[in-house]
Amino acid sequence: MGPLAPNELISENTNLFLAFIIGIGFGFVLEQSGFSSSRKLAGVFYGYDTVVLKVFFTAAITAMLGLLFFSLFGWVDLNLIYVNPTYLYSAIVGGIIMGAGFIIGGYCPGTSFCGASIGKLDAFVFIGGLFIGVMIFGAGFSIWDDLYLAKFLGSPKISESLGLSDGLFGLLLILAALAMFWVAEWAEKKFPREEY
Amino acid sequence: MKPRLILAVFLVTLGLIIAAVPQNKTRQYKLTAIELLDEVNTRTQFITPEVVADMLVKKDPTLQLIDVRSQDEFEKFSLSGAINIPISNLLSESNADILDQEVKMNIFYSNGTLTANEAWMITRQLGYKNNYVLEGGLNYWFETILNPQKPASTSPDEEFAKYDFRKSAGQALGGGTISIQSKEATPSSAKPAIKTAPKKKKAAGGC
Repeated sequence: MGPLAPNELISENTNLFLAFIIGIGFGFVLEQSGFSSSRKLAGVFYGYDTVVLKVFFTAAITAMLGLLFFSLFGWVDLNLIYVNPTYLYSAIVGGIIMGAGFIIGGYCPGTSFCGASIGKLDAFVFIGGLFIGVMIFGAGFSIWDDLYLAKFLGSPKISESLGLSDGLFGLLLILAALAMFWVAEWAEKKFPREEY
Repeated sequence: MKPRLILAVFLVTLGLIIAAVPQNKTRQYKLTAIELLDEVNTRTQFITPEVVADMLVKKDPTLQLIDVRSQDEFEKFSLSGAINIPISNLLSESNADILDQEVKMNIFYSNGTLTANEAWMITRQLGYKNNYVLEGGLNYWFETILNPQKPASTSPDEEFAKYDFRKSAGQALGGGTISIQSKEATPSSAKPAIKTAPKKKKAAGGC
């Protein structure tokens, strides 16, 4: 967690305990906002409910602005922030599988456990599928080993590959997000669905 | 005004500010002599042969082995996938891309650790990150990975586990048991099972 665990200011167990508390908080908010309904996530793809898109995009631009301003003030060194490394092909294949799973199952891994915690049967089925997928991946790892590690790009930034400054890219992303919110709300009006 | 309009204006304003200000490019890497001494004392630059062997076996794409010996020596023997940057050419411009990057884990090696350590010190002082040294150099590599010695029967279990790992990694990387096989004169077709050392997982996020 944050700077505490890597610098060994707190022990591994304390770290897990804090993760447990934060996890409960996260799950609680997720459930309270209605994310434990599979219709919420599937709604993004049919256009009648785009809350998920709006929430995650808002979270992304909030975090982005926070990091950029913190870096500007010298509070955080962006070079030290861990960014998931990119393995291009597995990211694409994984994205397709994950996206298909979203539409078919109506959950993402986090919300499926949220749904299961209030006893939703479809969430339990989704979690079952999740474990089957994990097992297939693990057991057949030698088959997709090469694909899994192919096209390693390190941790590239879109702003760098476009030759823009981080700030300018941030502004463009905010504008894109606002445009997307507008389209999303238009879609909600265009493809309404009775309340559930 | 509608709250969402206020929010949009607020976000765009922040975006405009961040786009207009110059990027903070302060890199706190210039090491003082004290800091460098501290790193030397804690031996942070050393990567054990086991870790390197494990990465080689797993074909970890982040691994970049760099042979800092002369070209002659490199052509006689090198670790698989290694590139040759003789220490005399270390600072030539064509190598800057390789040494100063944030993607791969560069591991210098030489016969011992002296030359590799020199390369590490120079690059570290230049502020380059992700450069390391193979602990013990090639000599120790031969000793531990390609030709591991069986621990005494009274050794603790960890020693045996280490030995098992070294032996299987050594076999996978083309060393070790050749002499034994020739004695027994049995052509072995079965691939040795590769035991991999446990690797610490980094935390990953998701929704």
